Amino acid sequence: MTFVWFWTFWHWSRESFRAGRLLRVPLLGIAGHWDEWFRHEVSEDDRHAIEEAGRTERGQREFILWLRHHWAPEACGSHNRWVTRFVLRQLTQVPPFNDWSALAAYRTGYGAPGVRAIVLAEDSSGEPGDVRPMEAVALPLEAGVAAPAVVPEGFQASEAELNTARRAAMSLLGGRGLFVFLALWVAEGRRPYARWVHFALSAGWLGVIGLISFLLLGPEPGESLLPLSVALLILWGALLATSMAVISTHCFRAWREGRLARARLEKSQVRLSMNIGLMLKGGSAGLAFCLNMIAAACRAQVGVPRRSWLWLRFDHALRTTGASWAATGVITADARVQSVVLEPKLRACFEEARIEHVITPRQREAGRRFVERLSRSHAPLRREYAPLVPSAPRLGFAAERRRLKCHAISHAAQSLLAIGGFKSRWQMALNALAGVASLVLLLALPDLRSILLPPPAPDLVAPSSSSPYYLWVSLDTLFPERFLVVLESGFWANRRAEVTRQEGANPSLRAEIRLHRLVRQTTSDEEDGTVWIERRRRFLTREFAPGERVGRYSFSHVSRLGQE
Amino acid sequence: MMPTDARIQELLHWRLRQAEAEAPLAPSAAHLLALARPWWEALPERFQALVDRLRQIQVAYAHAQADPRDFRAGHPVPALIVRAEEELESAARLLYLEVRNGRLRLRFQLDAALEPAAQALDVTFIPESPMEAPFSAHAVLSLDQEYHLEGELPEGVARRWEGWKVDQRIPYRMILRPGESVG
Repeated sequence: MTFVWFWTFWHWSRESFRAGRLLRVPLLGIAGHWDEWFRHEVSEDDRHAIEEAGRTERGQREFILWLRHHWAPEACGSHNRWVTRFVLRQLTQVPPFNDWSALAAYRTGYGAPGVRAIVLAEDSSGEPGDVRPMEAVALPLEAGVAAPAVVPEGFQASEAELNTARRAAMSLLGGRGLFVFLALWVAEGRRPYARWVHFALSAGWLGVIGLISFLLLGPEPGESLLPLSVALLILWGALLATSMAVISTHCFRAWREGRLARARLEKSQVRLSMNIGLMLKGGSAGLAFCLNMIAAACRAQVGVPRRSWLWLRFDHALRTTGASWAATGVITADARVQSVVLEPKLRACFEEARIEHVITPRQREAGRRFVERLSRSHAPLRREYAPLVPSAPRLGFAAERRRLKCHAISHAAQSLLAIGGFKSRWQMALNALAGVASLVLLLALPDLRSILLPPPAPDLVAPSSSSPYYLWVSLDTLFPERFLVVLESGFWANRRAEVTRQEGANPSLRAEIRLHRLVRQTTSDEEDGTVWIERRRRFLTREFAPGERVGRYSFSHVSRLGQE
Repeated sequence: MMPTDARIQELLHWRLRQAEAEAPLAPSAAHLLALARPWWEALPERFQALVDRLRQIQVAYAHAQADPRDFRAGHPVPALIVRAEEELESAARLLYLEVRNGRLRLRFQLDAALEPAAQALDVTFIPESPMEAPFSAHAVLSLDQEYHLEGELPEGVARRWEGWKVDQRIPYRMILRPGESVG
């Protein structure tokens, strides 16, 4: 109980809040509450103990560790390290903590750098200082205690604007915005495959395309048609099942974790910190607010192992490269991004050396040509390097022009895709290939089915033709397009006819064969001839050589059927 | 020129005569009484003009709440910030309120950001009832736009203040004068 004085303060704060003397909840107003307690309520013993704790840097560090490992879990019921960071940062503003050297790191910020906002100072035409670092932390609120959902620190913004950004963040974490994000990821996003799996899948889809091309354009497969069709279906099914399993697993995990993060955000107060001391006019910082709120909600997850590869990747990318990203755009509650004044903001990004990516609304000034032109017109900074030693050789700088990547978006979900580095041209090409192959196979499925599972052989049924110039072969089948009728005769010209649905006075599914005498007849018998029923084998537009013969009838039987 | 060979005693007498000759006249008792009077009695016209303007400030909330959470927002106290170059209408949000042994301890936050922030404010509490007398206290800057105040409450007023909570509406308005001290 070395730091019992902090417990004394904490209980005074809680009791004062309960008694209606303090307006803000103990955690959220901790700096002001401490200042009040330290000025008027602290006992001599406690004051002495506080002085003792702060006398050495070691004692100060012990207090920080105690706060993180003992006080925060017990007082706030949370192992969320951002709670401790918030408390320490707040306390650095008030005596005696404002003199503690061990808290120096907490004075500058929360240590959670996020996407920078581009906020132009009055009359600025785009200066490096207009690209403003921003941080966000989500602080859990006790059950039953509520507070403003978003609190700006170091700047002023309208409550409506902050709440719109928060609603957009919630939509992206667990609403319609998340479904847009997942749909975009499915269409063009990188998958969490090992490299060899990626190559195997690519080869598989190329194999499917190859088999389809062979069946459509290759030589007559003959007896190989069945094994080729089986191989095609198995390969396609396996690839499709793998893709679907991966997509559904990751979408489900992203949805589940996103929903938890959304719930966390709903029960938290987000502190948006941007140390500019300005009152924001206009809503172009909304996109940056939204992205940093999402980052804060993701970071606030503690204690539960994270399983969503999508959110993990986004969070990791933001933590490692977030400071090189800047964003501008008016955001709506459903996470759509609307246009802003862009040219001076792009100029500011060109001037700010740390910025490598800028997210902008999709508008004319965000086009590649415009950005290239702006980049060319932007003169690189010229620095004068005086040699340290007069006789030392002078350095020549041959640095290439810095490239700023501009991501033009119309929905904030696209910015998650961009920051997470999910976009993959290879995956997009593979998806297109898989889409085309799957579409072709879906269209060809009836043909493949009749090759693999041929329909039953049909029976010959009435009516037969009453005309001596025609031979009608009526079949009792549900799949007339899968059969052909062949007439082989020494008297009549041999014919092969399709079975089609015939309407009129005698409707039936039949093949109608017009009878022509042969020039060189081998018999004088008009009733000579055999009618065969053959299976048709097709693959979309291609007709293969006829398959198995499944019926054999005499000419006389067919021509008289139903007329006796 | 000061004589260099004079004795110390003569030098001190000479210096005293010099100081008496240069010193301003001692203030009269009436002037001392005037200095002790609160500023609203010393400058009644100015005070009345400020009070009239203060009473015109409307800060009552109309609740069109979108957020279902009914958080403790407090009631803003209308405030008029009187600076040399401007008068700024604003509101103060009470953050802490305690009255103990007739002493008021108050912490409040200004809605309008003062640029540059005033390190100290002379806070004059103007009662909404014209029957009550105003009183003043000295507030100092504590945190960002957050001021802390401690002062003696007039007799009779303390009892009323003791019953109020921080999130209740208090029937007072405030005139804030940066950088001045009480009395």
